[in-house]
Amino acid sequence: MIAPYLVAVVAVFAALRAILEKNTGRKLPYANVMNFAIAASIVLLLNHPLSLVAAAAYFVGSTLEANAIASTYAGGRDQ
Amino acid sequence: MLGELLRILAAAIITWLLFVSVDIFFRLPEKGGVSGASAVARDIQAAGGDIAGGTMMGNIVSSPDASAGTLLAACGVYVAGIPGGLIAAALVFIGNRICHDPGYAGTTGAVLATFVVYGFTQVGFAATDFIAGMVIAILSIQGLSHLHASRLLARLWRVRQ
Repeated sequence: MIAPYLVAVVAVFAALRAILEKNTGRKLPYANVMNFAIAASIVLLLNHPLSLVAAAAYFVGSTLEANAIASTYAGGRDQ
Repeated sequence: MLGELLRILAAAIITWLLFVSVDIFFRLPEKGGVSGASAVARDIQAAGGDIAGGTMMGNIVSSPDASAGTLLAACGVYVAGIPGGLIAAALVFIGNRICHDPGYAGTTGAVLATFVVYGFTQVGFAATDFIAGMVIAILSIQGLSHLHASRLLARLWRVRQ
């Protein structure tokens, strides 16, 4: 099965691009790809019903973090 | 191994079409759901991209949308079949509420993807093909060229309008 390897390569690629990108707003989509890849790899590496809960918890948590970073970067609430 | 690669590629195209159509149907490129989404859109526009496409990309960053729904539904089908996919849809809905989003796009995407992925597992595909395929699909939008991806999404958004 090559799916886990492919997903791991995508995660590393996206992480590197997030590090190399200078602009904060444009770092976030790269980090988003990395989060997708990590959530996918949790389930691919561990085929168990609870892996789904772990992947969803990781994904929702990381999305909330990205949301918080982006909103802080934007300067708070939209008026 | 080549067969699996081709299946992953096909799954990437299917999931790409699925999540982009659901997100555009639910008007994600129209406006930023939170201020952070608009900030991401502005930075993508400043780099030469399109504001509507950038807004959709910002919304994908800020809350689980149909792409996240598709990924988690594929994961759900992999670990527990159709019930797993529907549980994933419920988890996406909770995630949407946590991220201050009505949650229509993510939940609809997850429910649709559950049946699409399950259907394809009946004709020779594996659910893992769709998990990896969805990661490739999101890479093509968020991780390769923000400039080109935002312009392509904006063109599709104008068709929707």
